[in-house]
Amino acid sequence: MLRIEHLTVAVAGKAIINGLDLDIGTGEVHVIMGPNGAGKSTLANVLAGRDEYDVSGRVEFDGRDLLALTPEERAAAGIFLAFQHPIEIPGVGNMYFLRTAVNAVRAARGLDEISARDFLGLAKEHMARLEMDPAFLSRSVNDGFSGGEKKRNEILQMSLLEPRLAILDETDSGLDIDALRAVADGIERLRGPDRSFVIITHHRRLLDDIRPDRVHVLSGGRMVRSGDHALAIELEAEGYGPTLAAASA
Amino acid sequence: MNVLADTVALPSGREERWKYTPVAEIAAALRASIPAPIAASVSRSLVDDLAGDLGCPRLVFVNGVHAPVLSDEAPSGITIEPGPPAAALVVERDVEVVMPIHVVHVSAPGDLRGLSRPRLVIDVAAGGRISVIETYCGRPAPAFTDASTTIRVGLAGHIDHVRLQWEAADAIHLGRTLVEQAAASSTHLTSVTVGSDIARHQIDVRLRGVDARVALDGLYLPTGQQRHDNVVVVDHAASGGTSTQCFKGVVDGGARGSFSGHVIVRPGTVGNDAQQTNRNLLLSPRAEADTRPWLEIFADDVRCTHGVTVGRLDDDALFYLRSRGIPIAQSRGLLVSGFIAEIVDAITHAPVREWVAAEVARRALEVPR
Repeated sequence: MLRIEHLTVAVAGKAIINGLDLDIGTGEVHVIMGPNGAGKSTLANVLAGRDEYDVSGRVEFDGRDLLALTPEERAAAGIFLAFQHPIEIPGVGNMYFLRTAVNAVRAARGLDEISARDFLGLAKEHMARLEMDPAFLSRSVNDGFSGGEKKRNEILQMSLLEPRLAILDETDSGLDIDALRAVADGIERLRGPDRSFVIITHHRRLLDDIRPDRVHVLSGGRMVRSGDHALAIELEAEGYGPTLAAASA
Repeated sequence: MNVLADTVALPSGREERWKYTPVAEIAAALRASIPAPIAASVSRSLVDDLAGDLGCPRLVFVNGVHAPVLSDEAPSGITIEPGPPAAALVVERDVEVVMPIHVVHVSAPGDLRGLSRPRLVIDVAAGGRISVIETYCGRPAPAFTDASTTIRVGLAGHIDHVRLQWEAADAIHLGRTLVEQAAASSTHLTSVTVGSDIARHQIDVRLRGVDARVALDGLYLPTGQQRHDNVVVVDHAASGGTSTQCFKGVVDGGARGSFSGHVIVRPGTVGNDAQQTNRNLLLSPRAEADTRPWLEIFADDVRCTHGVTVGRLDDDALFYLRSRGIPIAQSRGLLVSGFIAEIVDAITHAPVREWVAAEVARRALEVPR
């Protein structure tokens, strides 16, 4: 589904990702771990189409040249990024935002618009599963939401937009146990043979629920080690030290 | 010299309150103007198109002259004197007018720039309450509108006044709103400027009686080469007054918007509270916003605050919306609508609020709602 070849990314002349390769098959769940500053969020943002970077290399998504697409075209093609720090947008109603997004993506995919009434029902259904109060629909987007509420709102957007590839950038950070479970359940519900995930995380906790296919360690802008779920367990026990030492040896 | 030049009050020299307004350009346009025709043929459907249908009784003026055939019957509780020289809308003592009234000023000049001078006086007697929406609109032709609205609110009276200006693109609009408030009265004024090539709106509020309150909200959305000036003067002439000014500008293209907010607190008064904020959003590198707080405080026991910002669209927010599949133009429109929501959401009457939100979105933001 996603093939990244020799991806190099720099910001203001400073290289952050250095010749990264990654292959993600359809239906697979990949986890990216790694120390702070390793380039994890940069990778996520580049895949979603943020344009403040100098990017070279090749990224193929379902056979298309992903880097040539605008962020909205990527969303229509099925890319979804759950933001590490979801943006607050005062004055824009959450319900209106969600419906506009869903209808924009539906229009780009050649589907009919969903009416306001039908959408309300759909949104409430998804919110109930995420244990989100429907009152969040009438508030401004993420405005004054707690950390956990913002992350649930990201998962809500993911559920409604039904992406082909969901990239979750530290969606589990700073969550209490209930929010973490709601997020994990949200991911688990969406998991399926046609949908892939990239999960960026610092914690093993989420992975125990999700059971990824592959775990990668990103450091210094490239993948230094890959393995299965056992790697995440090992990293939590030993830290990144031994892995990074071995990689630079 | 055209005789009209004497009828419109333009400053002769440099005046602080006209600092940002292109006076010479206005004076030249005025010299080239003729009186707008009195008997312009305007149909109800044209009024619907230009002013929008708010679904409440309409009082229509064409080129400043009352048009009875286009107007509805006044709701009960209001007396209307259509003028000339000025139209008057009178709310009797302790009468609460539940239904808002929509005053529509249509500019319908001929081929030459046509001057019209709508004059409206709204008199709310003690204890009276009313909601008035004034809309300035016009045919796509070169109009020159010199408009004046005087609002007098008696003891403990109240008015919600929404002023919408979406005249044609080549119009010149000089507007003045004068507000005189008695003790314990309250007013909520919302000024929305969308149209005209050059537009200036001056609001003078005088809090004459004790414990009077005024909330002044404003929006200006110039684009292309438009120039929109807002000049606000709030005069705390008695004690215990409260005034808030909240003006927001969204400036696009090579347009320019300005806000001058003048607060005067008279000597010998106590316990006045005056707040002023002006926030501007520049949507293009050539857009310009000028802002000038101007506080003259002659009393000690007073609370005054003011704040000003000029900024651009937030890149993070724009990326966030686009990453959800919302095309860039629509994403920008959403962010702008979010920026101005505070002003529109403050409009008291729900149907008026929803209608204004939709009209502004349609006319200025190109965002469907």
